[in-house]
Amino acid sequence: MTTAEAKSVSIVVNDETYDLMLDPRRLLSDVLREDLHLTGTHVGCEHGVCGACTILIDGRPARACLTFAVQMEGHEVTTIEAVSDGAELTPLQQALHQEHGLQCGFCTAGIIMTFEAYLQENPDPSEAEIRDVLSGNLCRCTGYQNIVSAVSKAAAVMRERGRE
Amino acid sequence: MTGDTTFSHIGKPLLRREDRRFLTGRGRYLDDIVLPGTLHVCFVRSPHAHARIIGIDAEEARALPGVIGVFTGRDLAEWTAPLRLAPPIEGLHPVEMTTLPIHKVRFHGDPVACVVAADRYIAEDAAELVSVDYEVLDAVVSADAALSQGAVLVDDSLPDNLVSHQSFSSGDVAARRAEADRTVEAKFQLHRHTHVPLETRGCMADWDAGREHLTMHIGTQVPHPLRSQLAARLRLEETAVTVISPDVGGGFGQKIALYREELTVAALSRHLRRPVRWREDRLENLTSASHARETLCRTRTSVRADGRILGLELELTEDFGAYCFYPANYMARVIAMILTGPYRISDYAFDVKVVLTNKCGNGPMRAPMAITSWVMDGTIDAVARELGLDPLEVRRINALRQQDLPFTMPTGEVLEDVTPLETLEAAAKAIDVEDFRARQAQAREQGRYLGLGICTVVESTTYGSEFYKAAGIPGSGHEAAWVRIEPSGAVNASVGLMGTGQGYETPLAQAVAEGLGVPPEVVKVHMGNTDIAPYGMGSRGGRGATAGGGTLFLCAQKAQKHVLEIAVGMLNLNDARGLRLKDGIVERMIDGAWVDTGISLADVARRAYLDPTALPEGVSPGLDISYTYDPPPMTYSNATHVCEVEVEADTGRVSIARYIVAEDCGTVLNPLVVRGQQQGAVAMGLSGALFEEVVYDESGQNLTATLADYLVATSCELPSIEIIEMNTPNKRTPAGIKGMAEGGIMGAIGSIANAVNDALEPFGVALEKLPLTPQSLRALMREKDQVTETVTEVRTGKE
Amino acid sequence: MKPASFTYHRPGSVAEALKILARYGEGAKLLAGGQSLGPMLNMRLARPEHLVDLNDLIELDYVREVSGMIEIGALTRHHRLASSAELKWSCPLLSQAAATIGHYAIRQRGTVAGSLVHADPAAQIPLIAVTLGAEVVVQSSKGSRVVPAADFLQSIMTVDLKEAEMVTGLRFPMQGPDEGWAFEIFSRRHGDFAMASVAATLSLDGSGVLSALRLGLGGVGPVPLRMQEIEAGALGAVLDDALIKRLARQAADAIEPEEDALVPAVFRKELIETLTARALRHAVSKTGRVQ
Repeated sequence: MTTAEAKSVSIVVNDETYDLMLDPRRLLSDVLREDLHLTGTHVGCEHGVCGACTILIDGRPARACLTFAVQMEGHEVTTIEAVSDGAELTPLQQALHQEHGLQCGFCTAGIIMTFEAYLQENPDPSEAEIRDVLSGNLCRCTGYQNIVSAVSKAAAVMRERGRE
Repeated sequence: MTGDTTFSHIGKPLLRREDRRFLTGRGRYLDDIVLPGTLHVCFVRSPHAHARIIGIDAEEARALPGVIGVFTGRDLAEWTAPLRLAPPIEGLHPVEMTTLPIHKVRFHGDPVACVVAADRYIAEDAAELVSVDYEVLDAVVSADAALSQGAVLVDDSLPDNLVSHQSFSSGDVAARRAEADRTVEAKFQLHRHTHVPLETRGCMADWDAGREHLTMHIGTQVPHPLRSQLAARLRLEETAVTVISPDVGGGFGQKIALYREELTVAALSRHLRRPVRWREDRLENLTSASHARETLCRTRTSVRADGRILGLELELTEDFGAYCFYPANYMARVIAMILTGPYRISDYAFDVKVVLTNKCGNGPMRAPMAITSWVMDGTIDAVARELGLDPLEVRRINALRQQDLPFTMPTGEVLEDVTPLETLEAAAKAIDVEDFRARQAQAREQGRYLGLGICTVVESTTYGSEFYKAAGIPGSGHEAAWVRIEPSGAVNASVGLMGTGQGYETPLAQAVAEGLGVPPEVVKVHMGNTDIAPYGMGSRGGRGATAGGGTLFLCAQKAQKHVLEIAVGMLNLNDARGLRLKDGIVERMIDGAWVDTGISLADVARRAYLDPTALPEGVSPGLDISYTYDPPPMTYSNATHVCEVEVEADTGRVSIARYIVAEDCGTVLNPLVVRGQQQGAVAMGLSGALFEEVVYDESGQNLTATLADYLVATSCELPSIEIIEMNTPNKRTPAGIKGMAEGGIMGAIGSIANAVNDALEPFGVALEKLPLTPQSLRALMREKDQVTETVTEVRTGKE
Repeated sequence: MKPASFTYHRPGSVAEALKILARYGEGAKLLAGGQSLGPMLNMRLARPEHLVDLNDLIELDYVREVSGMIEIGALTRHHRLASSAELKWSCPLLSQAAATIGHYAIRQRGTVAGSLVHADPAAQIPLIAVTLGAEVVVQSSKGSRVVPAADFLQSIMTVDLKEAEMVTGLRFPMQGPDEGWAFEIFSRRHGDFAMASVAATLSLDGSGVLSALRLGLGGVGPVPLRMQEIEAGALGAVLDDALIKRLARQAADAIEPEEDALVPAVFRKELIETLTARALRHAVSKTGRVQ
């Protein structure tokens, strides 16, 4: 067994720069949660299937459990903690609340991160498109129905705001 | 206990108050809680299904920097008591297990040693270095094999692998068989499932050596029963253990038992005098947490030519896995007890066998009785097929009607305030069966195979103490609550339930608000900490609303009475007649109208706490009210599920075109939350029926250890679910609450299986086995060579 | 599920990456998108001593047309393939197949060369590469060579990549403007690996006679299979429904999928027959898209 040396890494998470000494094998999901105390990113499977740990790397969704924290030097990471700044929920968060689109809440952060990015790319998705994107996030509580309607509703609100 | 069906707060679709923290990443789940100096464990698990442990060499592991120690079954046996399950039930063998196996492992994934290290990475490094010398034994990996002559014993202390066997008979099924026009046999095989909460198991044990007190942080559905177990197994007083359950990322029945890993972690914290934590990874969760179902049922039904059922016989065999964390008869018995559910059947017999095999142990999973409604309504469909009758008509002729109620089922269970015929008619009307049959006929001409499946469910929701007593299982169905009005008028409340995502905080606040007479916003319900919450039975089955909500409602009513007694003094009245608390204000009935007295709950609270000498004679200071309540022996909700599918003949793929549920679950605390539960339950049932399956190979290797192998349905496989709400209150429960949340599974399994059978009718095949994989459906279609020319044509030809 | 220890390398150029590879040989493993390697590392099914992170090699992230070929850099993400307007025109089969790889978040990270080198026979990129006759550009510190995809993919998770070599790009032939194409996949759930998949391109002359055909099958052998004999036998005939059925039957007969406890071989043959017929019909419907 080789014990790799800790590496000095500087990463930007939610616009803040962190200088860390990291064993290179440490997963981004673990470093976010344990070293940066950003526990909103949840670990559900550690093999990239469940989507609970989805975060944004340079604005694009990615599995934190399939990423090593050392890789993030020079990249910007965004987590759920940065999504609503202060008191106001984003239209997506608000719609999930109103449509009862979450129950235990464990998968919720991953879903929000996925769709905050996706709705930038496609502001007017069909139900089939929403379901296609949502299929990368497992939810064991809701049956997805209310999440789908929440995303649809959020997209409409965002389009409306965009017009104003 | 009911009567008043006009509520101010119960029944309102209030948005959930826990949402905000979950939406912003500020929920607090087990793994979010940090204690300084915490050690991490990793379990060394058996790669074999069945093997003798010859020796364990952990020297190399112990030498690894960062490793604190490696502990085995022998160590744990010194520090903990074994689990002995020996309820006095005829036909049930008593069983016992140590905290970790000492002599042999019984399934692929059985824990054999526990590594403690500075972090999980090092713990995993060390676990690889632990060398276990095994003598591999033959494994029994099916109930048939386990019951065969000379089968190896899973549990060496038992005479055979048949750990539980019970029979029952009511009426005279043999006589009914003799007088029947036809006897119809049917078979139903439900495969092995596992729960897959998105948050796996885990715990953090914190032994306070000074106070000699254990604090166990753990996501659990049952904080107090877990505390009792922990204390007993650690040989501690119940005063020396606190269980704290934070937010829980799903349970579905997997977070009830005290598992061996959790007890090990607690014992190690005490031994090492350090906080110790275990984070179960997904591989462990899928192979070693708890499995469920794997039940084979055969029915024999004696019927008249018009479809009327005269007698019903059930043979059930459950493959229970290697260990009993619950009395082995527990799940199977409920299936047998409530099987006849929605139908007027009096002559009934069952024979129930539960068998040990070399697989992960079974436990209750959302709808422990999941198979029930498939067996019953699948039997009805088999009768209809055999007699050439309309399945809907066969249901109608056998369904319980209002004039039959209360109806005593052959097993002695009493059904009251249920509406199975009404939900059946509502669902059938919603889907428009006639219109469907026309579309089905037209589609068949084009080589497309549509199917309609109906399944009526009578769901046992709240188990009262009398049920347990009758079943011979030690335990109680009661629940406990307190309501405390603080000096400021704020309302704290607590109950012994613990949510795992249902959203209890909102509906339970509504129940308190209703009983007390305050707006729900001022009520905060505290759950999950055994030092705060009263000793209750926790969350299991569908008891949350009736037992939890009901107890809180009654407790809050009692609190209101106390408040009004104080108000009597403040208003210089003789008694509380004509007074009520409404929206936190004491009101008085004057000339037939409620009038504000100008006294608020805060005024009353101030007097109760800060000016007790001014209280009326005999009224004690403070506003701290406790209440316990034992629900009726059993409460039942009912529903009818209708599912329309299309089976693609050339690939076997099943797609769901429409899904409707007509459900009567009595008074609901919060319809938003109830709908979420109904949708979620149906989704879980469909996912299980179509995709999920724990697979072991012939040697007992678990082949479904990742989420790429154990398939949970995604958003693209599940339909939107239409719900028709019906609300017949239960006359015997507080506010008429019945409970629900498991019936959706029962109905989903039954309705989709029946729908696929209906679709496959032209092929002359009927399925007996789930899951409904495309390859299994193709195999069914292929088997039947009498497939007509048109069908062959379709398979290879036009789409 | 934590990976074993490794030494982390992060080359800033292809030359530097090749140097590291040359130095550590078999002890080094290349990390691109990490969507297949990540789980293997976490489960310790892969435990390289040296992990060489290629994500800084942005010069390998490109889609460009060079003398009638589409060149795609090794580090190009699936999402770019799926959403590139250029590719939707010049190589729509690849674009459409890429849009079905895993899930949205997976496609943001997963790379075209990563998928090829992982060589899962049920994956999309290997199938499309074999079907279209793509070329793989392989480089080492000693130089580069170009290998046809069908030769590059040797068996399940085995490719023609020698020690200290890496894939730097792929070259796909451009699809003709009047060429029809289709990709059909059958998987248990949306986004899962294929139980069987079929890719096809074809051209018809003015009277419906088949003038060109490519047919590739995925998920039914150790590598994706190009059905060259079937293709050759079909040319010159009118592609009517009878021929489509015959070709579909031939495709099913041509394969010998492994007997699997969960998925019987006969089922995969049935799927191939169904999917081939569907693919050919869809391809026909897409011919002549310029007109």
